[in-house]
Amino acid sequence: MISKIEKSPGLTLAVLAIGFTIFAFFTSYPKITDFMIFCVFVLGFDLIYGHMGHLSFGHMLYLGAGSYGTAMFAYFVSPNPFLAIACGIMTAAVLGLVLGSVVVKTSGAAFALLNLALNEVGAFMVLVPFPQWTGGEDGLSVYFESYGLINVNNPKFWFCFCLGSLLLVCYIVIRFVRSPYGIFLKATKENEVRVKFLGYNTYIYKLVTFVLSCVIAGFAGALNTVNLSYTNPSLIDPTRNVEVIFASLMGGAGSVIGAVVGGTAYMTISNYLARYIIRWEMFLGIALLIFAFKFRKGIWGYIAKA
Amino acid sequence: MLLGQGRYAMLLKVNNLDVFYGPAQVLDDINIHVDEGELVCIVGRNGAGKTTLLKTIGGFMEPASGSITFRGDNLEGVPLEKVAMKGIKYVFQDKRVFGELTVKENIELAAYPTEESLSDAIQKVMSIHPKMKQLLGSKAKGLSGGERQILLIGRALVGKPQLLLVDEPTEGLAAKIIGEIIEILLKMKATISMVVVEQNLSTVSRLADRVYIMKEGKILREITDRELIRQPTLYEEDL
Repeated sequence: MISKIEKSPGLTLAVLAIGFTIFAFFTSYPKITDFMIFCVFVLGFDLIYGHMGHLSFGHMLYLGAGSYGTAMFAYFVSPNPFLAIACGIMTAAVLGLVLGSVVVKTSGAAFALLNLALNEVGAFMVLVPFPQWTGGEDGLSVYFESYGLINVNNPKFWFCFCLGSLLLVCYIVIRFVRSPYGIFLKATKENEVRVKFLGYNTYIYKLVTFVLSCVIAGFAGALNTVNLSYTNPSLIDPTRNVEVIFASLMGGAGSVIGAVVGGTAYMTISNYLARYIIRWEMFLGIALLIFAFKFRKGIWGYIAKA
Repeated sequence: MLLGQGRYAMLLKVNNLDVFYGPAQVLDDINIHVDEGELVCIVGRNGAGKTTLLKTIGGFMEPASGSITFRGDNLEGVPLEKVAMKGIKYVFQDKRVFGELTVKENIELAAYPTEESLSDAIQKVMSIHPKMKQLLGSKAKGLSGGERQILLIGRALVGKPQLLLVDEPTEGLAAKIIGEIIEILLKMKATISMVVVEQNLSTVSRLADRVYIMKEGKILREITDRELIRQPTLYEEDL
């Protein structure tokens, strides 16, 4: 059954849709909407980490770019939520293309740290030089217009929109990694030099993958801004990169379902454990150790193997 | 291509090649050539510089001086992927395939940039080892050493390769598999030029049209006489 779910994109999407709807029914729509948006971010991150094998310590930059692009469009240009989301995605895409053209030339520790450095610069740019545009430390509160039944301020409509967005991103990632491009990604993860010797210009392929990953992260940032009707510097904070890395590891890197499982598990722990234990992060650390030593392929990897 | 009077078109020419690992010179004034349709073996003891020479021809290492020309084009500064697209393919010594991919995906990966259809590419691999058909859906990491070597050779044949650089094809393999690999290389001789690095002189005697003996980073001797090549005891002491 598990392998059937993994192999069939339709079944994967159906299971995710039913799972999140049931989850929302027993908790609340806004909470599960938060979960799904985070899962979109994890899917974007996992494209370069799990599938291409490049660990980034700076992907919050693209989440932040999507978030600020959306908020600034809504604040300064138009309160249309869909145009604002498109603007957020474009912001992340352009930033990903410009910075990606440099960072994909590196790998290993250099790739991770260069991304972290760029994230630090991005966070500084949001906080210090342009507070009149970004809102500085306070961020930006924005209002989004509704159009009849299309009302992003309605929790049920917004839940459905975010669920649709998550399923769309899942479908795109599944198609991407199962195409010849996906074979290239797996091979690059194993040995990039040998892939080059088969005749591939790995730089171009890696750049395309990086930009797609940034677009998905930016989409998550844009959804987050509409979800909360504000943005602030915590959405571009480099120290929060650990959240997405942790979620990816916990769910199972290199798997679409693993990314969603990891994102959901992380959000569940951070939402519910924090209610009872003040320093709940300690348990995340312990859990990470257990995963690193006992469950290298994450929760989904373990379930799929069993 | 036969040009008449026993002369063949020159495919690869290496001129006065010097290569260093940091301050240590590992190749010293290397001059070799490969004609079209030829199988040239490079022999020598460990550390003689055979693999370094092959890697430098393949574009993995930068020479300090000298030149490498392929069909008259200088390969200096040409990126790895463009070297491959010119028709130079490399079969590595360590027999490392892309283990997380299936055999079929390994072949597909090789076929994609050459624009050869997957079915033709699979057919090429089957033509050198029909048993590979049963392994198409298996993860490549599960293959035996011999099967990996055959997959690597088959994968290098995808597209329109003109020169195959083969590093120690029989190293670490069982005698039965070695025989099979030699048969495959002999079958391929008719269609593709090859430079084969090999330490096993009995293999060399069966395969080579011409032999270069390397010692301490230099070409010690070139053997062109096929009768002599077939009697390795006569040049064994040069190694």
